Amino acid sequence: MRALLRDLDGLSRAGLACLALLVLVALGSVVHLGGDPDAIVGPRLQPPGPQWWLGTDNLGRSMLPRVMEGVGTTLLLSSVAVLVTAVVSAGFGILAGYRGGYVSELVLRLVEVLYSFPAVVLAILVAAVMGPGQTAALAAIVLVTIPLMTRLVRAAAAGVARRDYVTAAVISGARLSRVLGRHVLPNVSGTIAVQGTYALSVGISVEGGLSFLGFGVQPPQASLGVLIRQGGTYMIAAPWLVAGPCAVLVVAILAINVLGDGLRDRLEPRQPRSLT
Amino acid sequence: MRHTRPAVGVTALVLLAAACSPGPGAAPGAATPAPAKPGYLAVADPALPGGGTLNFQVHVDTGAATGLDPQLADVATSWQLMSLVYETLVTVGPDFSIQPMLAERWETPDPTTYVFHLREGVKFSNGRAMTADDVVGSLKRLLASKSVWVGQLGPVKSVAKDGDAAVRVTLKEPYAPFLAALANVPAAVLPMKEVEDKSVDLATTMLGTGPYVVGEHRQDVSWSFRRNPEYWAQGRPALDAVNVTIAPEEAARIAALQNGSASMATLGNVDSAGMLAGAANVQVLSQATTDFYYLMLNTQAPGSKFADPRVRQAVNLAMNRTQIAEVATGGQGKPTGVTPAGLPGACDPATLPSATGGGAEAARRLLAEAGAQNLSFTLAIYSTEPAPAVAQVIQQNLQQAGITVKIEQTDEATWAGKVYGKAPAEFDAALSWFAGYADAGMVTKWWNPDVAGFNAGFMKADAALSEAIDAAGKATGAARTEALAKVCQEADRDAQMIPLVTRPVTVAYRTDALSPSLYATEGYGNVLRLLPEIRAKKAQ
Repeated sequence: MRALLRDLDGLSRAGLACLALLVLVALGSVVHLGGDPDAIVGPRLQPPGPQWWLGTDNLGRSMLPRVMEGVGTTLLLSSVAVLVTAVVSAGFGILAGYRGGYVSELVLRLVEVLYSFPAVVLAILVAAVMGPGQTAALAAIVLVTIPLMTRLVRAAAAGVARRDYVTAAVISGARLSRVLGRHVLPNVSGTIAVQGTYALSVGISVEGGLSFLGFGVQPPQASLGVLIRQGGTYMIAAPWLVAGPCAVLVVAILAINVLGDGLRDRLEPRQPRSLT
Repeated sequence: MRHTRPAVGVTALVLLAAACSPGPGAAPGAATPAPAKPGYLAVADPALPGGGTLNFQVHVDTGAATGLDPQLADVATSWQLMSLVYETLVTVGPDFSIQPMLAERWETPDPTTYVFHLREGVKFSNGRAMTADDVVGSLKRLLASKSVWVGQLGPVKSVAKDGDAAVRVTLKEPYAPFLAALANVPAAVLPMKEVEDKSVDLATTMLGTGPYVVGEHRQDVSWSFRRNPEYWAQGRPALDAVNVTIAPEEAARIAALQNGSASMATLGNVDSAGMLAGAANVQVLSQATTDFYYLMLNTQAPGSKFADPRVRQAVNLAMNRTQIAEVATGGQGKPTGVTPAGLPGACDPATLPSATGGGAEAARRLLAEAGAQNLSFTLAIYSTEPAPAVAQVIQQNLQQAGITVKIEQTDEATWAGKVYGKAPAEFDAALSWFAGYADAGMVTKWWNPDVAGFNAGFMKADAALSEAIDAAGKATGAARTEALAKVCQEADRDAQMIPLVTRPVTVAYRTDALSPSLYATEGYGNVLRLLPEIRAKKAQ
């Protein structure tokens, strides 16, 4: 791990530091470091000031602890969802790419079925079965992000499967699990990492939409998506409601992206860097 | 995989743009308030020519849920749209006064008899003249139906023709809210000849005497109405057509107002006026209503936490209605008892035991007495503003008394299925609002599940409360105020449904497109009550 960190460039380290800071903020919210995020502490829609650093919302709650709670909720929800997506997509994508034929066709058709449902419809279906809440939101994010990642992993795995070292492993009598785990997976991990960062931002966006519809995070719990949707409504009257969560979202997505970029360069050094 | 990098950046930008955009058309310079006369928020300019279209946006379409039969319609959003097609004998005027509609006048020779003299020249939109038989048939059909409105009509003994142009209604005993009950859509006059010969099915076809006829209805998407060429009021309606768009998201309705695609919309957010302050040519009006939010506590579920009246009373005691009004409705709502605040004869909620009984501390003591110190329950709400805000303040109120509330927010259809779908109902507590109507005794009827069958899944009739409600219906004059106060006390004690705060209604319109008429007060959730008077400022 220390070697990995040492090999990261400055930008990636900055991204990692930002992400670590956000995780600390999220942990701080668990112990109500900035105050109780649900407590009504002052007048409604007060601008930022010494008493309420990020202002108060439409119910007179301090925005600082709400943003802190939102960071924790969103990071946890999106990270877990992306992790599940990565595991499921990697499993199906690698198998489909390596095996090809009817296995690939079957996986692709299943993925297309998922693709054919709009995200909101999928979410409503999930919520109807599981009941609204974080678990339903998590499941919905997974179902929304699985199709793209599975397709890309399958394509990458299909390319890797034709490489000589994979053929050599098969000829030498290696079991399927070893071929996939030792020879294919490491060579598509870049794809998974890159898609993971993309899925994370999609997850944050989906989480906000679901929570607005009532199928995601339930009030009064805050998430970045919820805060941005709520704050967007008050953009003219109380811009501070959206400024804080937006700023945190930008930092989170940038940090995730530059870190993902750095990790990719470290894990796949032979891939050429683009000029952009 | 490099191409995904810009995609992630774009995603971030799109998220930001979506969140941060003030919406198209926003410009500084809020419109000045329209001139109005007493009892009105706005009065349409009669000098404007007729014609044009009203593009109206609302948040929900309840057409599919309740069907199109006006007698079976039981929610205010249905009444509002049906009022474009159907009309009643009497209607509600400024300050809840009862005004003539299809009956041009009426007499009450004794406290139990009403004689309605029908307006001449009224026709249904198919061209057939309205007759006394239509009126008699409609009221008899309503009384024989399973409509919830039967309970509001009171103790009707008989309905009969009194000559060709009058209808006599006889009551078994005096009933003060009778005229106000006749003023709502379920008591509309229907084309009974067509209903009886089955040439019209009211469940699927709307045919009335009202100012408009239905053009097209796409469930949850839109309604279109066009002028009824047979309408009886000369020169009305002024507008040729009304297009209603269903836009569940508040932000979409606000954006539509800003860019001009909507000329009028109802808004749920109590801060709408502030949010639209910078929008050019948009005027926001806040209409005072008798509608109010209330909390339902399910006493009928097996093992219900609320079967013990002390637990219900504790919840009632912990409720800070002033804070709910100030915070959740931005000061636009008012604390209320079961008789809606603002109506003549309504009780003062500040004098009720729940307000004077000691608040959160007293609630804690009651809970301890009932052995329910660690009370926790789920509160089912829908996502339409300001319900989530009200729920979150309730949560904070109850936390002061050591009660833990988990809020479960869903869309309105899911919420309705959970609350009214089964008996016994499958929820702990739920939040909703009732229209408060035009008489302080009317909504109290819903506190008796023997009258309001839709409540029977989660509450049971309380004998003392039901008796008080019936007594208030019969009482008149000063005795009625006393009787209504008694209803308030009993409902406060029973606490199976806890009245909270009145529901503010915000109406916004484009000043460059519309010259509207709107009463300052409304009791049936109908902001389109004066639609025939509304005029367009430009052809659309």
